[in-house]
Amino acid sequence: MNAIQDLLTLMFFPGGLFVLALGMSYEWIDRKLMARVQNRVGPRWFQPYADIAKLLVKEEVIPADSNRLLFIALPILALAGALTAALYVPLAGFDPLYSFKGDLIVTLYLLSLLTVCTGLAGANTTDRFSLVGATRTLTQLFSYEAPFLLAMLGPAVAARSWQINEIIADADGQWLLIVQPVGFVVALIGLLGKLEIAPFNAPEAETEIVAGALTEYSGRGLALFRLGRHVELVVGLTMVAAFYMGGVNGLPLFILKTLLLLLILVGIQSLVARLRIDQTVGLWWRWGVLLVLAQWLALVIWEGVQA
Amino acid sequence: MKRHTLLQYAIRSLFRRTATQRYPAERTPTPERLRGTLHWNPDGCTGCCLCSKECPANAIEIITIDKAAKQFVARYHADRCIYCGQCVINCRFGCLTMSSEEWENAALQKQAFTVYYGDVPNVERVLEGFVTQDSASNSPA
Amino acid sequence: MDTTVPQRFVVPIGPQHPALKEPGHFEFTVDGEQVTGASVRLGYAHRGIEKATEGRNWVQNLYLLERICGICSHVHATAYCLGVEKLAGVTAPPRAQAIRLLVAELERIHSHLLWLGVAAHEAGFDTLFMYSWRDRETVMDILEALTGNRVNYSANLLGGVKFDLTPELTDQIYAGLELLEERTHQYVDVVTSDATLLQRTRGVGVTTREQAEELGLVGPTARASGVERDIRAEAPYAAYSDFPVKVVTATAGDLEARFVVRLQELFEAYRLIRAVLEKLPPGDLQARMPRKIKPAETISRVEAPRGELFYFIKSNGTDQPERIKVRTPTLCNLASVCVLAIGSQLADVPMILAGVDPCFSCNDRMVTVYSGDTDHTQWTWKQLRQYGIDYYRR
Ligand code: SF4
Ligand code: SF4
Repeated sequence: MNAIQDLLTLMFFPGGLFVLALGMSYEWIDRKLMARVQNRVGPRWFQPYADIAKLLVKEEVIPADSNRLLFIALPILALAGALTAALYVPLAGFDPLYSFKGDLIVTLYLLSLLTVCTGLAGANTTDRFSLVGATRTLTQLFSYEAPFLLAMLGPAVAARSWQINEIIADADGQWLLIVQPVGFVVALIGLLGKLEIAPFNAPEAETEIVAGALTEYSGRGLALFRLGRHVELVVGLTMVAAFYMGGVNGLPLFILKTLLLLLILVGIQSLVARLRIDQTVGLWWRWGVLLVLAQWLALVIWEGVQA
Repeated sequence: MKRHTLLQYAIRSLFRRTATQRYPAERTPTPERLRGTLHWNPDGCTGCCLCSKECPANAIEIITIDKAAKQFVARYHADRCIYCGQCVINCRFGCLTMSSEEWENAALQKQAFTVYYGDVPNVERVLEGFVTQDSASNSPA
Repeated sequence: MDTTVPQRFVVPIGPQHPALKEPGHFEFTVDGEQVTGASVRLGYAHRGIEKATEGRNWVQNLYLLERICGICSHVHATAYCLGVEKLAGVTAPPRAQAIRLLVAELERIHSHLLWLGVAAHEAGFDTLFMYSWRDRETVMDILEALTGNRVNYSANLLGGVKFDLTPELTDQIYAGLELLEERTHQYVDVVTSDATLLQRTRGVGVTTREQAEELGLVGPTARASGVERDIRAEAPYAAYSDFPVKVVTATAGDLEARFVVRLQELFEAYRLIRAVLEKLPPGDLQARMPRKIKPAETISRVEAPRGELFYFIKSNGTDQPERIKVRTPTLCNLASVCVLAIGSQLADVPMILAGVDPCFSCNDRMVTVYSGDTDHTQWTWKQLRQYGIDYYRR
């Protein structure tokens, strides 16, 4: 009986399908807001669903000289990673489904899985756009990942715990972004890099390398990658909101805070041009890392003083 | 007028009406000079064929029914017409006009694009084939 | 592949590529993100227009040539009309010339705004793209109200123009210009101050004055490198001698300079249009043109939004031309892409390409390549067909 209930939870509420639906709604809000900023009408609410449905029924073309197994498995792995990560974060204000000591680290790595899979998927084909895209994806991964990780660990250090639950409980409604503003900014911008949205969309710059690493993907594979991206958007927003904006207990608070973050993301996204990949790397290592490290230092000293 | 930064402008845009026009549902009136479907008025036509001779797309044909009685039929190929308006300028008798209202000219059948203008009996004669293609040539007599 | 040469990694751009709205083929050899070689291949949109003109009469050709370019249709018609009028010894009345200028400048506004959008899109700045194209609608509406069409205005006639200005139209143009002027100020602000955009434009694709002269660049692309080359000022045609232009130049020669030059030209266009509207000469709209033109030949040059547009026209005494040769500005500017791309980042290549404002289909002409041996590369229809069949059998 219990097992069935667990299964149901995993598949429907608040796991699985619920996360997917949430992801697509956020994707829609993102696109709609973007359109409104640009004075366009924008898509209707069901557009992300329609996109995915269309992709799922379309033929999937597997390029002749790529590894079939990898080609098929990578999108599944990517989506699975993102979905698994969703289990450990307080989505929609519910307690995380699973929680154990150190789940923060696991979640962060699971979130990176999507990017890694995208990069591998690009490297798996012989298409030249994909290869350039894969190089860029992985380069970008190495540039934002460390600062993002450090930024996410800031609250953890403050809470002296690696468990998402405890960190949130420790923060207990305090807005950490006031005491750790750098961490907040870096985390938010790291999210932009993670999701490959402007100005960090060089890996899929359509005017240069078509669709980047995913150029050869069509049909099901592309749909899964995109779903993974949508889920990651929600998970990322949730984590930043939970860590830096005083937790997300309850649905209204969750929606309010994540939407606020999304609005900021849309603002950044629509007001900048795309950075070149070398500029992205430069930005992160020259500013992102240094700033986060400086904040870390301050944190550690503060903790030392207190102890 | 105060100039806005892009950020201010973008925020304002959020609350503005979108620039997109939801076309079939809402439409702006067409300008008076819009060049739409060509119309031919048989009164006054002398059959000089200046219109058809300089039409870049050979889209208009003047078919002579009775030269002496000034009976002509115009066959207009809307699918060939490039809506340049040269024929309207060329006709010194003001027989040709371009509508600013008729511009949604899509059709499912090709026949819809061949339009006959003229007095009904004359057009019927042309349609029934009394006037053969040869005698309907565009050469000015 | 030749084994003696180290394997090269070639990134093709085109003939179908999201960065190009028209077919053209560029091959960039890259080393990582660095471009080490570039080549260009044109001709995908060859339409045989020059040949087609020889089978049509002078009036029909006006409309055919107008369709060489979808963005700058009016300049083609103007260049042709001016040339044919010169051959026939006819001068269009002053009012007609002024209206030609008016439409040409309106067209320049639309073309530059279009370019701004495309260039912003290449830089990944979609908001600027959307805004500039939205504002471009203003000038498109003006053109539509003035001439009756949004793309192929057909404002020209041999010996004059078709349309006159009415007070309502004048008001509409004034109102439109006011709006556009305000918006253009914002664009100038953005392209000269937005940090992310500047990262992509400042110091990118620098063309020195010497390079620009050597490569024979024309139009805003050359003017951004400090070359004062503008047919409107050098050899004023239509009404440009009565309404002189100030040539806008910049010295930096990078992409930012090209943005700035084109945007400043917008202000110049607004000023010219206002001047024309204020002092529109009275008189007729059309002079009489003969149907046949005695044998002669002439050239005619106008300043298209992209640079110098060149027409060679030869008549043979009939009502049809003997030969018409068109050279569009893109052809002069494209070569610079191959030079500038080498040594730059792959990510900058679409920007450099967009920087010359290429327009491929107006630029494609027939070229016959003789490979040197007896078997030259002219194929018959049958051979071509067989080649196609064999190609797809493989
Ligand atoms: S509008 Fe132009 S193309 Fe159409 S019938 Fe008249 S002359 Fe021919
Ligand atoms: S130019 Fe006018 S009068 Fe002459 S044939 Fe055409 S419609 Fe008739």
